[in-house]
Amino acid sequence: MLSTEIQFIFQLGILIVFTRIGGYWLRRWLRLPGVLGELIVGMLIGPYALGQLHWPLVGKLFPFGPGGAPVSPELYAFSTFASIVLLFLSGLETDLSTFLRYSVAGTVVGIGGVAISFFLGTGCAVWFGLADNWLAPHALFLGAIATATSVGISARILSERRKMDSPEGVTILAAAVFDDVLGIIVLAIVVGMSRAETEGGVLWSHILFIAAKAFGFWIGATAAGLLLARRFSKMLKYFKSTQAIAALALGFGLLLAGLSEMAGLAMIIGAYIMGLSLSRTDLVQVIQKEIEGLQNILVPVFFATMGMLVNFAAIVPVLKIGLIYSLFAIVSKVAGCGVPALFCGFNRHGAARIGVGMLPRGEVALIVAGIGLTSGAIGQDIFGIAILMTLVTTLLGPMLLAGSFENPAPGLRRPDDVAKSRSKTIQLSFPSPDMADFLLARIVRAFRQEEFYVYRLSPDAPTYHIRKDEIFFILEGEGGEIQLTTSVQYETLARLVIAEEMLSLRSMLHMAQKNGNLDSMEYNLVADLFGGDNGEESLP
Amino acid sequence: MNLKKPLTVETIRLDLKGDTKEAILAEMVDLLMASGHIRDRDAVLKAVLEREKRMSTGMQNGIAIPHGKTDSVDCLVAALGIKRGGVDFGALDGQPSNIFVMTVSPDSRTGPHIQFLAEISRPLNDAAVRAKLLAATSPDEVLHLLIG
Repeated sequence: MLSTEIQFIFQLGILIVFTRIGGYWLRRWLRLPGVLGELIVGMLIGPYALGQLHWPLVGKLFPFGPGGAPVSPELYAFSTFASIVLLFLSGLETDLSTFLRYSVAGTVVGIGGVAISFFLGTGCAVWFGLADNWLAPHALFLGAIATATSVGISARILSERRKMDSPEGVTILAAAVFDDVLGIIVLAIVVGMSRAETEGGVLWSHILFIAAKAFGFWIGATAAGLLLARRFSKMLKYFKSTQAIAALALGFGLLLAGLSEMAGLAMIIGAYIMGLSLSRTDLVQVIQKEIEGLQNILVPVFFATMGMLVNFAAIVPVLKIGLIYSLFAIVSKVAGCGVPALFCGFNRHGAARIGVGMLPRGEVALIVAGIGLTSGAIGQDIFGIAILMTLVTTLLGPMLLAGSFENPAPGLRRPDDVAKSRSKTIQLSFPSPDMADFLLARIVRAFRQEEFYVYRLSPDAPTYHIRKDEIFFILEGEGGEIQLTTSVQYETLARLVIAEEMLSLRSMLHMAQKNGNLDSMEYNLVADLFGGDNGEESLP
Repeated sequence: MNLKKPLTVETIRLDLKGDTKEAILAEMVDLLMASGHIRDRDAVLKAVLEREKRMSTGMQNGIAIPHGKTDSVDCLVAALGIKRGGVDFGALDGQPSNIFVMTVSPDSRTGPHIQFLAEISRPLNDAAVRAKLLAATSPDEVLHLLIG
């Protein structure tokens, strides 16, 4: 039998190794989101499956925790920390300025999706006998779990298809911001209400008071955060070192998370508010970059831990309802977001793309389900249903979104609609990918020299977010092409920066051609490579 | 960003005399020198001329944005000049240039240099602003038109 500490370290090691491998396989071979692999790994190695196997020397690797809990308190605390980091980063990535720019379509689409999802999610519990009234905690939780879109998965597809700046793309991104904010408010209210219910208070006035308190904390903390963000970021910048800035920002995020739990809300709400407050400052990319490594390790462990909580035996009796709930979750976003899009200038192609783009549920759904399970508001059966829905929507969303762009038909009723004209893309083609790569690196350097924060989105593809205060660019390179997207307002700056770098490239080529020194340098580098006659000279 | 800092009434001239590109650039560098913004006139002029050699900064509608990088300035400096009637600046549209915005920035220091150029040039996209600039009677009026 292992001591608690050693067992925890073993568990963590196994989770990190296997979630990485599982996620990698799924992404690489099946082109599916890594989160699916991480969830499935958790389900397989959890206490309801392989975790019960008895290994020589170490015994059971994932036994039940105290009181029959599916995971140990240490592992659960670790995954709670992971969820806080995740939501802190999610708040940080919330691009409020994009949201405000496309706020009309984004708001309408976001509200539609959240309202219909919450209604159908809660309704599913009531109509199919899981709850006897609309205010039962588990009914409310099923509603809340269904609301929040995980836009990261759709954003990847949009980026791959170069549709980030399409009218559908910006509407999905803006709606997802609203969706996130609204989803967190719904969670705040639902947690408050379910706590009131479990405390025995079923009075409407009491429930309304709790809901108002939750909403009040949310509004108050968000408003204070946004108002103080500039001053706070100035204070962080005092420390100069980017590591110190990121660590302090996350530290304050954890403090606000603790405060929000004390105020009767979930911890992730405080973390999200801290991230959201900082999202309007120019420290976003710095913090993201520094916390990226931590996130890479923590987040898969979180998803796997959620998978470990799935009790297969408890799902079997409610499997049918689980599939209906998943269907409702699909219909609610496709209709809830698609139909309002039809009234915002989109035709049926555009509306369908927006609907399926809003489909995937991910981290927020799992966090909400986890909070419901540990607080006792929902049982293992409903938790299992939530996981099933997350798996189904995460699997279907990207496939449907990619498919919806196969048909090149425009998504707007009037193709010359305003949405397109508000952002501008500068496209350049070069004779070779090497030349494009070289210029891309020069443009990145030029923006850095202009004191912009430049952040590479992923190590696999050269896509950069370039940002300073309210100015924002997306720089992408592929093959021999470079593409820079920005709002019309900053097009002059973009053109001037690129033009200066192209001129530098040209004069460098010119100088290289003129400079005979290069020939002699090349000659000197290789002339003596094979000059030795018996190898003695090259011996140390 | 604060556009007021680099561009001041001392670095605005409404009646440039030069009749050639070189003469206009020298006159504007002299303006920067006279206002105490630069230490080494020749080094600045060389930097600006070298940039012009690569490609003219004469744009369309009479606008030119000559600029250069040299460590003989400590921070971004800017000047604005107007040449009524215009001069041949090798502009993109082949027309004479009559509004010149010059910026010089340190080579080895980071800063919003091109951003300044972009921001100060943005109002110049408006034909009405250009007409008012050409009719301006005082540097204050020019500053007011561009910066508000």
